Amino acid sequence: MRHCSNPIDAAVLADYWLGLLGRLASPDEEAVEEHLFACDLCGDRLREMVALAEGLRELARDGSLRMIVTDGFLKRAAEEGLRVLQYAPPPGGSVQCTVTAEDDILIGRLAANLTGVSRLDLSLCNEAGVERFRLPDIPFDSGTGHVIYQESITFLKAAPTNKMIARLVTVDEAGSEELLGEYTFKHTRSLPGPGAW
Amino acid sequence: MEIELDNVGLVRQIQAGDPGAEAELFRRMAPRIRLYGRHLRDVYAADDLTQQVLITTLEALRAGRLREPEKLASFVLGTCRVIVIELRRTSQRREGLLERFGRDLAPSTPWSVPRLDHDQLERCVQGLKERERTVVIMTFYDEQTGAEVADFLGLSEANVRVIRHRAIHQLRACMGGTA
Repeated sequence: MRHCSNPIDAAVLADYWLGLLGRLASPDEEAVEEHLFACDLCGDRLREMVALAEGLRELARDGSLRMIVTDGFLKRAAEEGLRVLQYAPPPGGSVQCTVTAEDDILIGRLAANLTGVSRLDLSLCNEAGVERFRLPDIPFDSGTGHVIYQESITFLKAAPTNKMIARLVTVDEAGSEELLGEYTFKHTRSLPGPGAW
Repeated sequence: MEIELDNVGLVRQIQAGDPGAEAELFRRMAPRIRLYGRHLRDVYAADDLTQQVLITTLEALRAGRLREPEKLASFVLGTCRVIVIELRRTSQRREGLLERFGRDLAPSTPWSVPRLDHDQLERCVQGLKERERTVVIMTFYDEQTGAEVADFLGLSEANVRVIRHRAIHQLRACMGGTA
């Protein structure tokens, strides 16, 4: 059947797929299976969903996403044999850092007292302190006392020697900001070539 | 113009001994069975499943054991469910053997799924909100359960589900699909 009058929602297909992987209890599993056995169109949609899931896994392995990650992410990366490089400057301090061709994942572990924080932004600034990029309303677990930021390793492998300042900023309901912690990464290029963005 | 047989017509043709109808049964059902075979998380076991289910179905049809031809799809699905239980046991044994000897074997054939434009997907993922991006990566890469993601974010599982669904719809739309 190539026509489907009642296609299964993509998110329901994703839940079904995650259910097969044992990560979710999918309440719709039987109904989805019945439908898939009568509908090739939705079968194709499920294949697209699996492709999306595979694409996300590849992207995560690339280390090129700028994002907040978890210890679970780092554990998974290590299990897959990826080389994870971590720097943990103290609040208000700095760290010398570099990346090599063999590194796969680049992590900045930013320690901070997150107790009582409701909204947290991560501001990435140049050495003059001018904001270049911001991750607004980042997810965090206040109990851990740190934020794990993944910088794009693709970006850093191409970058020249430079200094980056990361700032954790709390934002209250009125939009007022307060600096929670500042961390300086002094990147020295160690790969061949001058490097350029 | 050739008119495609519906399942009832297909069953009747097979019962009448038409080999072309049997070929059509294979063409129609094999991809669906193989998709279901993802339950086994093993491409070889999924191939075994497809073969066994099709043979069982064909034997049942030839012998006239399917009394309600309109229920062909349900019959095939039911057969899948029964055979998967047996194959899971076989698969577990296979996994044990692979764990012991797998390094000497060639990597398994990948599942047949379309390839996505990697760069476009990266742009789409980077376009998600921070929480959405974290939820999809935690779910699809870190292999965290819904409860674990909810615990990290300090949200309920229902809220995480909403975020995950919104992110999936956005990614599909960004990749040119329809939600």
